[in-house]
Amino acid sequence: MKLVLCDKEFDFIKSEKDINYFNLSAMKISNCVGCFGCWTKTPGKCVIRDEAVKIYPLIAQSEKVLYISHIVYGSYDVALKTMFERAIPIQQAFIRILDNETHHVQRNVIEKDATIIGYGNISDEEKEIFKELVSRNAKNMNFKKYNVIFATIENVDEIVKKEFEKWEK
Amino acid sequence: MGKVIILNGSPRAPKSNSKMYSEIFVKKFKDNCDYFNINNRNHEQLIKTIKDNNYSDLVFAFPLYADAVPVGLLKFLKELEKANIENRPTISIMINCGFYEPKQNDIAIRIMKVFAKKTGYKYGSTLKIASGEGTPSTFFKYFLFRKIKKFAISIRNKKYQDFVYTMPISRKLFLKASTIYWTRYGKRNGISKKEMSTMLIEDK
Repeated sequence: MKLVLCDKEFDFIKSEKDINYFNLSAMKISNCVGCFGCWTKTPGKCVIRDEAVKIYPLIAQSEKVLYISHIVYGSYDVALKTMFERAIPIQQAFIRILDNETHHVQRNVIEKDATIIGYGNISDEEKEIFKELVSRNAKNMNFKKYNVIFATIENVDEIVKKEFEKWEK
Repeated sequence: MGKVIILNGSPRAPKSNSKMYSEIFVKKFKDNCDYFNINNRNHEQLIKTIKDNNYSDLVFAFPLYADAVPVGLLKFLKELEKANIENRPTISIMINCGFYEPKQNDIAIRIMKVFAKKTGYKYGSTLKIASGEGTPSTFFKYFLFRKIKKFAISIRNKKYQDFVYTMPISRKLFLKASTIYWTRYGKRNGISKKEMSTMLIEDK
């Protein structure tokens, strides 16, 4: 299974039999409220029953993911960041050691190849921060391998199209 | 002594550890410190408060969320960037994560520093807290409170500095302590350790 999460519409990407595509900016997804309900009250399930509920199981089940986000201060912008925060039901509260660091235990999250496209007017410093952020995500989101690509507002459609064609094969 | 505003960027601000840590901080400033929670509806009001009060320092207290800055705080930063604030306070950060390693906070700190640089704010002190979820329920909280006071004094005296706290125990012991902490947390909700350890997501 493959998953595309993005924060703008790409009309050349469609949900097909093994591809799930979501433009998060067109969806109603609330902020995580930090209640720990998904760890300690209803384990594996978020207490907020909005559209995020159908996405985080797909994050866990997909072996290939393509994430496309506007970048702000070296971080994912609001849409993707909101979704990642709401995806913590796919982890347990309990801690394990991974690469000599403490991280949360994952539930049924399969290892994945990730392609992350960050776009916007991004300085070199922000690019460095974003690359490091993705390397942190790799540990917490079970990336087996990942590739970070940058684009400008002007060429993001073109770059996403090129990468999507390679990625869907 | 300048006037300080401390903004809590935790998604569970009224019940957060960031709030508890902020209260320790505020005590060092007596009447010269204002404290507010950030929520999705009060950005305009907070920005007006910053504009009207000529603060010397702005402290953001927040937890690490998904390896970075919580989205509620990120939204506020975007609004603050647009605001026309004449006398910009110096920004300091008090960040906490539940992991053992303080360095897991580093990306979020760099994000905040880029924000400051991009928007013309000076950067001051950092307090980097690890094992911040479990610490308040242990004796080690007094070690942390001491660091918070030092962090506050560095801002009060304009001698900006970086401070780090984690539980003074081994990683292995931390792992055991955190398992006990979370098991008790679940038990209070009537959920067993086995139930909390389910590998199922949305019951599948």
